[in-house]
Amino acid sequence: MNNPLRDPQDRRLPRIPEPCALVIFGVTGDLSRKKLIPALYDLANRGLLPPGFVVLGFARRDWGDEDFASLARKAAQAHARTPWRDEVWDRLGENIKFVPGSFDDDEAFDRLAETLDELRATHGIEGNAAFYLSIPPSAFPVVLKQLERTGMSDNQKSGGWRRVVVEKPFGNDLPSAKQLNDLVDHAFTPEDVFRIDHYLGKETVQNILALRFANTLFEPVWNSLYVDHVQITMAEDVGIGTRAAFYDKVGTTRDVVQNHLMQLLALVTMEEPTGFSATEIRTEKLKVMRAIKLPGDISRDTVRGQYQAGWVAGERVPGYLDEPGVPPDSTTETYVALTLGVQNRRWARVPFYIRAGKRLPRRVTEIAVLFKRAPHLPFAPSDVEMLGANQLVIRVQPDEGVTLKFGSKVPGTTMEVRDITMDVQYGEAFTETSPEAYERLILDVLLGDKTLFPDAEEVEAGWRVVDPLEEAWAGTRPEPYRAGEWGPRAADAMLARTGRAWRRA
Amino acid sequence: MIGLWDTTGSAVVKALAAERRTAGGVTSGLALTLIVVTEEAEVRAAEAAATVAAAAHPCRLLIVVRDEVTHPRSRLDAEVVVGGRLGPCEAVVTRMRGRLALHAESVVMPLLAPDVPVVTWWRCGPPDRIAYDPLGVVAERRITDTMQCDDPLEALRVRADDYAPGDTDLAWTRITPWRTLVASVFDASHSLPTKITIEAPPKDPSALLMGGWLTARLGVTPEMRPVSGNRMHGVAMQMTDGGTVTIRRDDGRVVVQRTGLPDRTLPLTDRSLGEDLAEELRRLDADQTYAAALAKATGRDGFQDRAPIRVHVWHDPALAERPDTADDAGRDTGPSGETAMVSVSGAADVAKVPDTADVARPAGPGVADGDIEAAGDTRAPGGEPAK
Ligand SMILES: NC(=O)c1ccc[n+]([C@@H]2O[C@H](COP(=O)([O-])OP(=O)(O)OC[C@H]3O[C@@H](n4cnc5c(N)ncnc54)[C@H](OP(=O)(O)O)[C@@H]3O)[C@@H](O)[C@H]2O)c1
Repeated sequence: MNNPLRDPQDRRLPRIPEPCALVIFGVTGDLSRKKLIPALYDLANRGLLPPGFVVLGFARRDWGDEDFASLARKAAQAHARTPWRDEVWDRLGENIKFVPGSFDDDEAFDRLAETLDELRATHGIEGNAAFYLSIPPSAFPVVLKQLERTGMSDNQKSGGWRRVVVEKPFGNDLPSAKQLNDLVDHAFTPEDVFRIDHYLGKETVQNILALRFANTLFEPVWNSLYVDHVQITMAEDVGIGTRAAFYDKVGTTRDVVQNHLMQLLALVTMEEPTGFSATEIRTEKLKVMRAIKLPGDISRDTVRGQYQAGWVAGERVPGYLDEPGVPPDSTTETYVALTLGVQNRRWARVPFYIRAGKRLPRRVTEIAVLFKRAPHLPFAPSDVEMLGANQLVIRVQPDEGVTLKFGSKVPGTTMEVRDITMDVQYGEAFTETSPEAYERLILDVLLGDKTLFPDAEEVEAGWRVVDPLEEAWAGTRPEPYRAGEWGPRAADAMLARTGRAWRRA
Repeated sequence: MIGLWDTTGSAVVKALAAERRTAGGVTSGLALTLIVVTEEAEVRAAEAAATVAAAAHPCRLLIVVRDEVTHPRSRLDAEVVVGGRLGPCEAVVTRMRGRLALHAESVVMPLLAPDVPVVTWWRCGPPDRIAYDPLGVVAERRITDTMQCDDPLEALRVRADDYAPGDTDLAWTRITPWRTLVASVFDASHSLPTKITIEAPPKDPSALLMGGWLTARLGVTPEMRPVSGNRMHGVAMQMTDGGTVTIRRDDGRVVVQRTGLPDRTLPLTDRSLGEDLAEELRRLDADQTYAAALAKATGRDGFQDRAPIRVHVWHDPALAERPDTADDAGRDTGPSGETAMVSVSGAADVAKVPDTADVARPAGPGVADGDIEAAGDTRAPGGEPAK
């Protein structure tokens, strides 16, 4: 029966999940404290959690509910986006429970299963539960096995829906990703697996689709006839911090290109989906991801870099090799620049330059579409000297917004034409109120909406791009760049060869 | 901030342009113009609410305070603020006195941001007919607040009589959290109510709308049970499966009780005026759910045939304030007593206006007087009344 009080025209009523439980494994970890618990508080504060909602935290601590409640409260208070209201937390806090145990402890999982069953009577939760694996991937197999063994991952047995949420890294290469996908898809059913790519939870990323498919203005020029090339940049000013053990095994390409940048590239290049359902969008994304073409000469058209000591934001920072925990002879990249192509009619011969790195001058993620110059300019050459190519830039973070650069007459008596920029900021105005990526994504998990989650095939398509690169790079050394610079010189040379240059992001 | 005393409309337009230039692109992405009609005492509250709402909907805020319409000398004062204390808003607070107050649109129209929707919000008792206020006529969305009226229930009926698509009332906005809770009952239930009771103070327009909504959606007309206090207190439902569901406010929280299930407690925080306003600004199209609820709540009908565009009706409050013409003003509600003036409409292209204008334009001697008014404020306020 459809809910008679829900009417698509009634757009004030938010979508609220059915009564359910969220089980967080690794609830003491960084992600849980900085993102998940605060996001839950924010959701509660916005009134988006169902009347029957319980959080079960699982961790290897000798804790009571009290200890855990105080950790959760501190975490929420420190990182919540929305204003703090004690009464909101009190209601949520009452329904946060702690289940102690380690992952190989059968008894602990039996207890967890029992606790979930009891929620039916105590909270009116008819078996619905999502399991958030905020744990190292190495712990996945044991946890998944436990969930299977106890029947907790089984929709039928539990009488409601059972979903699982996994975080990146989704494997380390194609075979390991497949193995991981099989493992999760087998323990649960593929429809019930939610892979988090938090980039897709960002408003501006979702806005790419609105910009492209809700307007008439951009789509007609969104192709190789008008686009000269596209630059996608994901720059961070921070170094690797304390994550050496993880990062040194992975490097920039696996860490962010395989997932976030592939998703951005897919959203920018995909064809119009026939509808906005999860499967229709996925179909188009997959199609274009499979059309991604690697450069013929990988050593020439890709650049890996590694930061050396330098100055960032007024502070002296150590080089990568001097970071604690990094082996002195590490050849892991902290910067990567790629030349990719998309093999279809729309994008033939348009280069896509993708770069990502740490210890770059500032934190920025953006997509710049650079258009071709006008085929003919009826102006004196001296008058158009300052005229560049038209650009459309989608800034994903920070200062979310869109800028459009085009030529305009300089006031005065001569016909001098110069670039001006039109700037639309969702930026400062929105950051306060636009939800955190994790808020949106957790809510979607509980609602069962998979639009913003990459599925196994997308993950595998990402590795199909990254694996051959990693293979070609094996045994090579990354180019050094000084911390606080826009990557190694070779990256500039890579574009200069075709007469292009990186946009200063 | 620029303060302009005893100034003109064009000086205000120039000051706003100058402030925008110095502030440099802070608000280049305006989503809408928000006109707030209010009283001096409410200016700060209106500003504060608009600042909260503007965080989600960057807007140009035009606050209009009309005062002393009978004052012999017209005067305009204005404050222009871009960024700063009003957050991502650019704001002009205008104070108008004398006959100018009856022609506020002459100051406001040139200040509307180009090509974005206009929303007018009365942070005071709204006019009996929105068409009386040119500031309501220019807007595609009109927000009233019957809670601010002396008799809110009567005011809600007035709103129903005057309803046009694009109108909403904050009494409706305020119950979104309640409606959300009541709706969630039916997410997990396969049974419908046979009897509904709403517990609310007797003069609560929100409760009336709640009842209207439930009637429209469920076909069960709720019974109203008056309780003391100033806010809606609860909803109780007798279900077809024999059970009961009650949702009751209890000291800053809500307790949901349902036969066969343990009680559940949820926070129910009262939202600020700014949050309510932000919800209003989220959608700029007509709220059909509200229309249906309002129709059922007041027993009025035929809302779907109402045109979304109003035509300004000349209505001189000054007449009402002068004892010798009070009778005339009192009669000023029938079709012969009112005058269609300019057909001003923010969104409509001119081609659409004539047929509605034709319908609304009354025949009669009033027309000429209205045209004189429209042509300019040529008479002293003490001059011959329009009759
Ligand atoms: N942090 C981020 O911003 C971020 C971003 C993207 C993806 N991720 C991914 O999210 C996941 C969690 O990241 P994190 O940063 O929160 O990691 P973390 O801080 O290292 O936390 C890992 C959690 O797992 C628990 N754990 C590990 N091994 C365990 C075992 N054998 N038995 C019981 N508990 C065990 C830890 O408990 P103890 O406290 O008892 O050790 C801790 O609560 C990882 O998959 C990571 O790759 C994190």
